[in-house]
Amino acid sequence: MALPNQGTVDYPSFKLVIVGDGGTGKTTFVKRHLTGEFEKKYEPTIGVEVHPLDFTTNCGKIRFYCWDTAGQEKFGGLRDGYYIHGQCAIIMFDVTSRLTYKNVPTWHRDLCRVCENIPIVLCGNKVDVKNRQVKAKQVTFHRKKNLQYYEISAKSNYNFEKPFLYLARKLAGDPNLHFVEAVALKPPEVPIDLAMQQQHEAELAAAAAQPLPDDDDDLIE
Amino acid sequence: MADPAEHREEEEEAAAAAAGEDEDTGAQVAPIVKLEEVAVTTGEEDEEVLLDMKSKLYRFDKEGNQWKERGTGTVKLLKHKETGKVRLVMRQAKTLKICANHLVATTTKMQEHAGSDKSCVWHALDFADGELKEEMFAIRFGSVENCKKFREMVEEIAEQQGKNEEKENEEVSSTAGLVEKLSVTETKKEENAEKEETPAEEDKKDAKE
Repeated sequence: MALPNQGTVDYPSFKLVIVGDGGTGKTTFVKRHLTGEFEKKYEPTIGVEVHPLDFTTNCGKIRFYCWDTAGQEKFGGLRDGYYIHGQCAIIMFDVTSRLTYKNVPTWHRDLCRVCENIPIVLCGNKVDVKNRQVKAKQVTFHRKKNLQYYEISAKSNYNFEKPFLYLARKLAGDPNLHFVEAVALKPPEVPIDLAMQQQHEAELAAAAAQPLPDDDDDLIE
Repeated sequence: MADPAEHREEEEEAAAAAAGEDEDTGAQVAPIVKLEEVAVTTGEEDEEVLLDMKSKLYRFDKEGNQWKERGTGTVKLLKHKETGKVRLVMRQAKTLKICANHLVATTTKMQEHAGSDKSCVWHALDFADGELKEEMFAIRFGSVENCKKFREMVEEIAEQQGKNEEKENEEVSSTAGLVEKLSVTETKKEENAEKEETPAEEDKKDAKE
C-alpha cells in the first residue's frame, strides 16, 4: 500500500500512529529510538511529525513510519485525519499523571473510529519515576479492549523495544519473530590528514570538559 | 523504616506486571505481511572479538556544544582475521542497531573525560549510518577498571596499527627499488640498440668509398 508523502523502500513498511495526551513522552520515545538521545525539554508537537524507524529482524528488515501526533488539542491540526490508513498504533500515557490514563479511552475511541482491527499497544511511560500515580495493577483498560500493555521508560530504556517487537510480530503473524544484529558494514579506510588531526585534538579537549548529560550513578546493565 | 507489607505489595505488583507483559492481551488481527526467515549476516563474520563490554555511548553535538546520548549496549573491538585491521562496533541493547562503527586508526587517541574516571573521549570517522561522518565520542563504563581496560587496549591497537603501516611502507620502498632496476634494464636495451646502429653507419661509409 503506497502512502502519501513517504519514500518507498524494498522491504516491508507500516504506518504506525502514536497518540496520547501531551507531555506523556511520545516524541521523546520516538527520538530515543531515532538518535539515542533522551530529550528532557518539552516542546509540544504541532500537527504530526513522521519519522521512519528501521529494525532488523530474523525475517529481514522492516520499517515503521512513526506518525508522532500532537497530544495537545490546540496543536491537533488534522487530528484524527492523521490516523487514516494506520496499520498499527501506540497509545501513550504517563504513569505519574492519572489524567493521562483517564483519557486513554477517548484516544482509543477516536483511533478505532478510523482504524478498525489494527494491533494496538498501550504504553505506560515514565516508570523510572519513584512517585508514580498510576500503579501497574490499576491499569486494566487493555484487558477490556484487547490491547497489549507495556510499562516503559524512555529515560531508562526499560522495555523500550517491546512495543515495536509486539507490533512487528502481529503484523507478520509470527510470534517468534525477533530482532537481530543490523549489518555492520566495513568502514572504508581514509588517508590521515595531520593538520586536521591537531584541530580534532583541540576540539576534543574542549569537548572533554563538557559534562555528560546523565547521572554518573546510572547503572549500565 | 520500610513497611514490610508495603514492600511485599510492591513486589507482588512487579511480579504481576512482569507476568502480564509476557501474556498477549491483544486482539487477534490478520497479519498483513508474509515474512520468510533469512540468514542473519552481522558483518562481523570475518572478525575476532578482542573486547566486548557493556557501556554507554555519547556523541558531541557541536551546535548545542553538549554531549548527547547515542546508545546503551555493548562495545566491541573486532580484528579482521586476514587484514589485521581493527574496528570498534557498538550496538544498542535489545534493538541491536549500530551506534558506532569505525576503524581504530594510528591517529586514534583516547582522552580522559573531565567529569568521570569511568569515561573517555575520542575522535573518529564514523560509518554507523553507512556514510563517513566526523564524530567526537564519549563512552562510559560501569567501572573504572573496565574503562581503563578499554582505553589501554585501544591505545595499544592504535600503536600496533602504526607499526604495521611502517612495515607496509618498507615493503613499498622495496618494491620501488625493483621498479628502478627494471628501468635500468630498459636503459641497457636502448644502449644495445645504439650499438647496433653503428655498423650500419660504417656500411654506409664503405658504400661511399
